[in-house]
Amino acid sequence: MIRHASPFPLALAVLAAAALIGLPLLTLAPNRLVPGMPQAGGPVAGAAAVLALIAGFLIAVARGRPGHAAAGGVAALAALAALGLAAGAVAGGLFDSLSLAVEYRGRAGAVNAAILQHLGLSAAALVLAGLVAVPLALARLGGGRAGRVADGLIGGVQVVPALALFAGLVSALSALLAVAPALRGLGLAAIGPTPAVIGTAAYLLLPLVRSLAAGLAAPEPAVLDAARAVGLTPRQELLRVRLPLGAPILVGGVRVAAVQSIGLSTLGGLVGAGGLGAVVFEGMAQFAADLILLGALPVVLLSLAADRLLARFGARFALAGGAA
Amino acid sequence: MSRPGLGTALLGLALAALSHPDLAGPLVRALGLQAGTPVPAGRLAWLAGRHLTLALGGFALAGGLGVALGILATRAAGARLRGAIETLAAAAQAAPPVVVIGLALPLLGFGAPPTLLALAAYGLMPVLRGTLDALATVPAEVRGAAAAIGMTPDQILWRVELPLAAGPILEALRVVMLLAVATAALGALAGAPTLGTPIVVGLQNQNGLHLVQGAAAAAGLAFLADAAFQAARALARRWV
Repeated sequence: MIRHASPFPLALAVLAAAALIGLPLLTLAPNRLVPGMPQAGGPVAGAAAVLALIAGFLIAVARGRPGHAAAGGVAALAALAALGLAAGAVAGGLFDSLSLAVEYRGRAGAVNAAILQHLGLSAAALVLAGLVAVPLALARLGGGRAGRVADGLIGGVQVVPALALFAGLVSALSALLAVAPALRGLGLAAIGPTPAVIGTAAYLLLPLVRSLAAGLAAPEPAVLDAARAVGLTPRQELLRVRLPLGAPILVGGVRVAAVQSIGLSTLGGLVGAGGLGAVVFEGMAQFAADLILLGALPVVLLSLAADRLLARFGARFALAGGAA
Repeated sequence: MSRPGLGTALLGLALAALSHPDLAGPLVRALGLQAGTPVPAGRLAWLAGRHLTLALGGFALAGGLGVALGILATRAAGARLRGAIETLAAAAQAAPPVVVIGLALPLLGFGAPPTLLALAAYGLMPVLRGTLDALATVPAEVRGAAAAIGMTPDQILWRVELPLAAGPILEALRVVMLLAVATAALGALAGAPTLGTPIVVGLQNQNGLHLVQGAAAAAGLAFLADAAFQAARALARRWV
């Protein structure tokens, strides 16, 4: 494959142009924040945001080809960097956007802990959803009534706003714990990681169950007939034929679910689960752009990293499956 | 199904009824939760109106722009944009709406604008992707046949491609409308009055009644919006 020259010089050029156009506008805005008197950046800041988006878009155009997901990452980072620059400039004067680094140095321990916590929440939700998805996918494969009911429930959950589901779970868990206080001994609590993990997992069921069911249904009937003809039991057929052949589809579903899990876990900050969401919400409560960025950037980076990692894993899987 | 969305509508109505203080109050007390002051029914209705306005505004932005850009990218003139759109679609998914609202807050201030930006940013790519995929399902022979009988490119778009691709495009629009209704609840975090407001207040003040009322109302509105979209789609299909 012929590669273009590195996209970074171009990205930098576009960013510089955006900054040059945007920054004089920003200095026009008398937007020094008075504590307790949050003010909007107004149209000027809006222009900066649009510039940032345009910067990202231009980079993507310059670099973008179908299937070239890395370019998406570059574009997202560029747009976010420009957005961050603008946000920093609005919140505290032009060159105080360097204060992001200062802010991080001051809070490195807390932010690193939040990243680990966030990864823990996302992973726990993914595992929980995976455990529930297996029987549901098998029921769907069987094609009975249970499969259809499960399908309806999983689809219905997607309609419920995440904020409402998390709130409902907090209420339901408090009611449950009031009836059966013994459950507290198991580590369940109405506030904290429990509602966050359950709520996040509920949304992951759709991609996981769909991809698992589609993956298991992927082998051609002739292949399944052959498997039966050589005397494989249904269990062996499932584990040795259907699962390996459907693995690429399944990995695709896990990839979507993992990205969603990292995003949704951000809301866990609202129900006391900590993680990067707590940092973002603290920043929003204080109207502190630095703090918001400090929480938001790692969420985006983690999502992109998980996406790339699982895409690579899926590609290797597909290759190995083709070679076998 | 003869009545599309009927079950969804009933579920939505049940949840909306549950959010009424006269119903939610006794329930919350029976469950042994902390019940503070209720959200009056009138206030809930007002919040629902604001919520719906915000969501529809974001939906109109994302849907209109998404379908328009999708059509543009499939014309000969805009073919170069396609790769960029595909890559941005992947990137857009990486920033969840809460994060977009958080990032937009210092730029656009409190209230509706950051929420609208998040709705548009998060909804644009699914519509765009859906429109591209839907237009790609129109067979090249059909397009060729339309051109052969002397249709202009405009006529091919309006009379052949869009009608044939309408199903998947509407499905993408439905998904994005639901996203908008769900994400609008997060506007409460940026200070926009929505049905998320009682939830956020309830979490802060540990008022279980606010929490239950807000959750039921927000979920009810989402189901009702879904039902309305399904019914409208079925009606449109009958007319066409």
